[in-house]
Amino acid sequence: MDARKLVKMANDIARFFEAEPDRAAAVAGVAGHLQRFWEPRMRKALLAHVEATGGADLRPLTLDAVQALRG
Amino acid sequence: MYSVKEPDHGTPARQGEATVTVTIDGHAVTVPPGTSVMRAASLAGVQVPKLCATDTLEAFGSCRLCLVEIEGRRGYPASCTTTVAPGMKVRTQTPKLAQLRRGVMELYISDHPLDCLTCTANGNCELQEQAGVVGLREVRYQGGATHTDAAKDTSNPYFVFDPAKCIVCSRCVRACEDLQGTFALTVLGRGFDSVISPGKTAFLSSECVSCGACVQACPTATLTEKSLVAHGQPDHVVKTTCAYCGVGCSFRAELKGDQVVRMVPDKDGGANHGHSCVKGRFAWGYATHADRITTPMIRRSIHDPWQVVTWDEAIAHAAAEIRRIQATYGRDAVGGITSSRCTNEETYLVQKLVRAAFGTNNVDTCARVCHSPTGYGLKQTLGESAGTQDFDSVDDADCVVVIGANPTDAHPVFASHLKQRLRQGAKLIVIDPRVIDLVRGPHVEAAYHLQLRPGTNVAVINALAHVIVTEGLAKEDFVRARCEGPAYETWKAFISDPRHAPEAMEAHTGVPAAAIRGAARLYASVPNGAIYYGLGVTEHSQGSTMVMGIANLAMVTGNLGRRGVGVNPLRGQNNVQGSCDMGSFPHELPGYRHVSDPAVRALFDAAWGVTVQPEPGLRIPNMFDAAVDGSFKALYVQGEDVAQSDPDTQHVARALESLECLIVQDLFLNETAKYAHVFLPGASFLEKDGTFTNAERRINRVRKVMEPKAGKADWEATCALAAALGYPMHYDHPSQIMDEIARLTPTFTGVSYAKLDRLGSLQWPCNDAAPDGTPTMHVDRFVRGQGRFMLTEYVPTDERTTRKFPLLLTTGRILTQYNVGAQTRRTDNVAWHAEDRLEIHPADAELRGIADGATVELESRVGKTVLRAHVTERIQPGVVYTTFHHPGSGANVVTTDNSDWATNCPEYKVTAVQVRPATQPSEWQARFHAQAAEQLGLLPRGREEA
Amino acid sequence: MTRVYVPRDAAARSVGADAVARALAADPRVQLVRNGSRGLLWLEPMIEVETAAGRVAYGPVAAADVPALLAAGLLDGGDHPLRLGLTEALPYLARQTRLTFARCGVIDPLDLDAYRAHGGMRGLAAAIALAPAEVVAQVTRSGLRGRGGAAFPAGVKWQTVLDTPAPQKYVVCNADEGDSGTFSDRMLMEGDPFVLIEGMIIAGLAVGATRGFIYLRSEYPDAARTLGEAIARAAAAGYLGDDVAGSGRAFHLELRIGAGSYVCGEETALLESLEGKRGVVRPRPPVPAVAGLLGAPTIVNNVGTLASVPVILDRGADAYAALGVGRSRGTIAFQLGGNVARGGLVEAPPGLTVRELVHDFGGGTASGRPVRAVQVGGPLGAYLPASALDVALDYEALAARGALLGHGGVVVFDDTVDMAKMARFALEFCAIESCGKCTPCRIGARRGVELVDQLVKSKRPADEAAVLRELCDTMTHASLCALGGMTAYPVESALRHFPEDFGL
Repeated sequence: MDARKLVKMANDIARFFEAEPDRAAAVAGVAGHLQRFWEPRMRKALLAHVEATGGADLRPLTLDAVQALRG
Repeated sequence: MYSVKEPDHGTPARQGEATVTVTIDGHAVTVPPGTSVMRAASLAGVQVPKLCATDTLEAFGSCRLCLVEIEGRRGYPASCTTTVAPGMKVRTQTPKLAQLRRGVMELYISDHPLDCLTCTANGNCELQEQAGVVGLREVRYQGGATHTDAAKDTSNPYFVFDPAKCIVCSRCVRACEDLQGTFALTVLGRGFDSVISPGKTAFLSSECVSCGACVQACPTATLTEKSLVAHGQPDHVVKTTCAYCGVGCSFRAELKGDQVVRMVPDKDGGANHGHSCVKGRFAWGYATHADRITTPMIRRSIHDPWQVVTWDEAIAHAAAEIRRIQATYGRDAVGGITSSRCTNEETYLVQKLVRAAFGTNNVDTCARVCHSPTGYGLKQTLGESAGTQDFDSVDDADCVVVIGANPTDAHPVFASHLKQRLRQGAKLIVIDPRVIDLVRGPHVEAAYHLQLRPGTNVAVINALAHVIVTEGLAKEDFVRARCEGPAYETWKAFISDPRHAPEAMEAHTGVPAAAIRGAARLYASVPNGAIYYGLGVTEHSQGSTMVMGIANLAMVTGNLGRRGVGVNPLRGQNNVQGSCDMGSFPHELPGYRHVSDPAVRALFDAAWGVTVQPEPGLRIPNMFDAAVDGSFKALYVQGEDVAQSDPDTQHVARALESLECLIVQDLFLNETAKYAHVFLPGASFLEKDGTFTNAERRINRVRKVMEPKAGKADWEATCALAAALGYPMHYDHPSQIMDEIARLTPTFTGVSYAKLDRLGSLQWPCNDAAPDGTPTMHVDRFVRGQGRFMLTEYVPTDERTTRKFPLLLTTGRILTQYNVGAQTRRTDNVAWHAEDRLEIHPADAELRGIADGATVELESRVGKTVLRAHVTERIQPGVVYTTFHHPGSGANVVTTDNSDWATNCPEYKVTAVQVRPATQPSEWQARFHAQAAEQLGLLPRGREEA
Repeated sequence: MTRVYVPRDAAARSVGADAVARALAADPRVQLVRNGSRGLLWLEPMIEVETAAGRVAYGPVAAADVPALLAAGLLDGGDHPLRLGLTEALPYLARQTRLTFARCGVIDPLDLDAYRAHGGMRGLAAAIALAPAEVVAQVTRSGLRGRGGAAFPAGVKWQTVLDTPAPQKYVVCNADEGDSGTFSDRMLMEGDPFVLIEGMIIAGLAVGATRGFIYLRSEYPDAARTLGEAIARAAAAGYLGDDVAGSGRAFHLELRIGAGSYVCGEETALLESLEGKRGVVRPRPPVPAVAGLLGAPTIVNNVGTLASVPVILDRGADAYAALGVGRSRGTIAFQLGGNVARGGLVEAPPGLTVRELVHDFGGGTASGRPVRAVQVGGPLGAYLPASALDVALDYEALAARGALLGHGGVVVFDDTVDMAKMARFALEFCAIESCGKCTPCRIGARRGVELVDQLVKSKRPADEAAVLRELCDTMTHASLCALGGMTAYPVESALRHFPEDFGL
């Protein structure tokens, strides 16, 4: 899967949850969304991208959510 | 009028208790106050002669045949316009009345051709019938002036206007005004020179929208369907449901054998109450169009000729390919797309096929590209992925907000209903980048038109909410009683921030702050405020956010849970609601239950005898990405044309070309089928039984009026494919599929064909708690318990204008065409819309040297296409607009892969583009035409598309 | 400076009043006043000079007569062949009872001070002092009936509007005076517009209507100008607006111009037209008093009816009711025209006979030939034969004769008239003016014209006459409104009284 596209999609999700003042809830929101709506190979590809690149192109909230997913 | 007779009580029913007792020719009858004497008589079994009266229209009192005598009253009052009074004694038959009626009828016939035997209405003409009823035996007026040599107007493709036969009863004019609300017809001249006219022009060039209401209302052969002229009077009727748009109009298919003579709207239809639009009423000829492909076909590669095969061969080949691909690339390398044009039962079966027989959750539906944000947004806030009201609810609305919807074009029958309410005085707020017809029309004018820049919906909805909260207009009592307190407090603090103020947002939205404030106060201050929205809300990068913003606005103003209010998505296709309900989304089983829920999976595992996968599957755009990526290899598409309807056409084409097996099931060789390896001929809505669920959650029956042209209804084909995959499904009739759905879906527990036949239609939830269905949702509590306010930060789309692409393109549809046009392009509707055009404001046009009708190139960062320009002030400067009904126009060659953050619903409504004069088709169009020619050439026996 | 009155009424202007006024204005001693018409139309332009003895009338005056008149001492009421004497003493006027038209022709129609000086606005003051229901009661007790033609008791209509609760009510003045041979509404609107405005304000206050409309026919441009200006002046003086004459109650008044349709004088067609729609008749019920303009309770009254209200409130219902006979009370403005020597406006209590009107006021035919027929009540009124001229002009007496008073038009014909042509004219009028909604009128009127044409050429006219009579019956009983319903009056009366003209 095209990593750039996945990163953009994930960042778009994060931009919605960034309005949430409770950071933990925001992280859980993004992670939960990826879990509930993304097909596993998409999640896998995103995780692989973060693994490989460090995820500099991810928004901080996206990155935290990816870490949460991984954990 | 109907060919196959139904009772016509002459004037509409009055609401209320039957409390007034009158005596008609000695028969006592008790009716509600306000009932006409004519209707009371009819209910008492007494038919008063009439011509200008029909019970779909208010009384008019012009024909003077329905005169009666009333004890204690002078003269001979008309029974249609006289209302009942307690104790009234009416006589409908006296020698004087007989003489007057014959006198009036003699006048009618003195100006009417006497060609009854060869007249289209022969056997179904009210004038003929009433002349017989009153016993007219002679016409003593001879040699006088008549209109019998008036010329016919045959300009409308579907009906003839023959003024020689007109009795000037004005039923057509009244239908056009009162029912349709177009005011296209009028009476020209006065006295004997009074003639019905579509405004001193021919019907086709008039304001007429060809809804058919006038034809339906005509008591003679003056306005007659050309199909009736061609075939003669039908002999039987099958009630069914229109297969266009989400309004879900009920129709009576009037037939001779299995020949459809005409489709007439059903007065008993819960969604349409006897009204229709040009598509449902007239544009059904595609079902028997020569382009229909009625035999299964297969081919090895998409550049090979198609081979005609038997159903068994085609099914066996398709099953073998799916199994081969799964063996090679893995179970999840295949998937399916259900169709919002097919029945509930068929979509249910396709998702069952994918989940149970394919063994994957890679199933999605075209709602992905239209209303998926509605499902997500309303589920998050209110707890159910559906509109909250029935259409009739609009009768109680005091302020109607229409957001990103164009009902007069896309949901015309609802639009007519809405306009009736607006003419009664309800206020209208339109939020739309374009000047849609509702903004200003005959006797309808929006109090506010918030003409926002495309892509700034959330900024506008937040500004509206900001005004309501900061000006103290919130209904705190409602919120306290019905919504989650902490979430509301957080939201209130969020929305009160000055960054959401209309003044702060003005620069983004282009909407004057004062207009936003005025609109917010209006919506918040009326007793009942109702919101209706369309794809202009959902098809954005913030589509889901906007849906939640709308729900927030309704909650904070207490506009939920009763008639006249609510959040009402206007669904695009006939069964978008149903296909979503039926578990077509990759993450949800029927009834919007997540696949990750073990209890839900256990239910389906037990019923289906398989193990349903716990992880969500691929959504349509993800399927395309995975296909290009090489991990997705086979796709079963039923009744959709993703190659034309989905964004970024060239990307979709690359994805389809990457598939090793594409199975397309459709009526026609559509754009997608040009990439297919297996073609399964589809069945039209006339060829099968089933149900559609409309935008108001109304389950309507679809009934078979003719045998499937290809020998199998779509559900039978799906069953065959499942069986070939080793997963036999046993159904003799779609009613058994609905029984299974009812068993497995809590909101459908009470649904059965028997009950649908008895009640006509049902609005889900329909279960033990609501055995007759649920017109209004969330009455005492929200489906999710308490309503939840969501934080809806405005995030501008990444799609921005630049020096290279300085304009914003937004797309939509038009009245006479439907979606990708596969159906409507194969009807005479092309008389109105033969091509897609690009709307551009005169200022932008002049700057570029573009004249109206000029050929222009439309370019975005992903593609280029060429079409003709329409210079109009309907669109604001800086914005251009087009439709996507014709594949060669390539509107989606230009649209991008931007999508809603939550659901991946494409952002069709915002694309940065440039427009410049052009002289020849784009490169894509040249390839498109070459491919079309190639693919047509690969059809057997050289058959070609007309 | 001597005050000289030259009418600005359209009837006077049409015979040269403006030129007369210009000629007089050139004399520096003349203080010109453009008044309304006194209604002595055969004397127009009739000018008046204010003298110590009273106003002295001269007429008919042409501009060319002015130098000679001035030379003859016009400004002192000097003698001249055109001198008619003191205006008030002219028998035609002296024998009238001018209540509604009391100021018409007397004052400058747009001079609000003159209006008040001559008793104007006293009725309004009285109405403001009364409770609304009491105002309605006064109108009821006065016996005032609709002067437009239908003669429906005004008080009953007002009471219905008063008793129908609604957030908005309206007063609509029917100024679509379309009957041929009638002109009283025009004369009043041009000659004393404030009395109509005052009557409408009183109506509004009485029933709680805050908005009024005058629906004026487009053929009355002079009246439109005068009314428009009068409304502006009344508003400026505080009689119209949110606070009527300090009462704290609102009444807004607007002038609307019709588009040339006779049937828009029918009140429901008028309302349709006022709403911006095609002027076709609405079925009743509901009556406009319950659901009229824009569905709201609405008083629709004729000009003459509304203009009679101020005097009723001013002098009291009983004073008004003291005049007249039977159920026809007060005064009626008869309009005398056609082939008559002295045509004009005659305001008198109902009860005088047609003969008195035609001969005593009118002086017989203009041609000098014998009177053969008189049509009372407009183009759809019945024809009375010469033998029937002793019928009293009151609603009931005429009804007993198969005739109608209508809007008070009285048209005289001498013995050269062809009554078959007149019957045909009535049907043709109906055919031309029919709104086209109901079938008896739409088709019947045309068939009627054709039948009369066939009848007069027929070898067996009795056959056509039988069909014609049956058609008249159908139109009378089955038509939606009075246009079709009344067309039979002239046709049947012509057939009855003058069969020889039809070859019968």
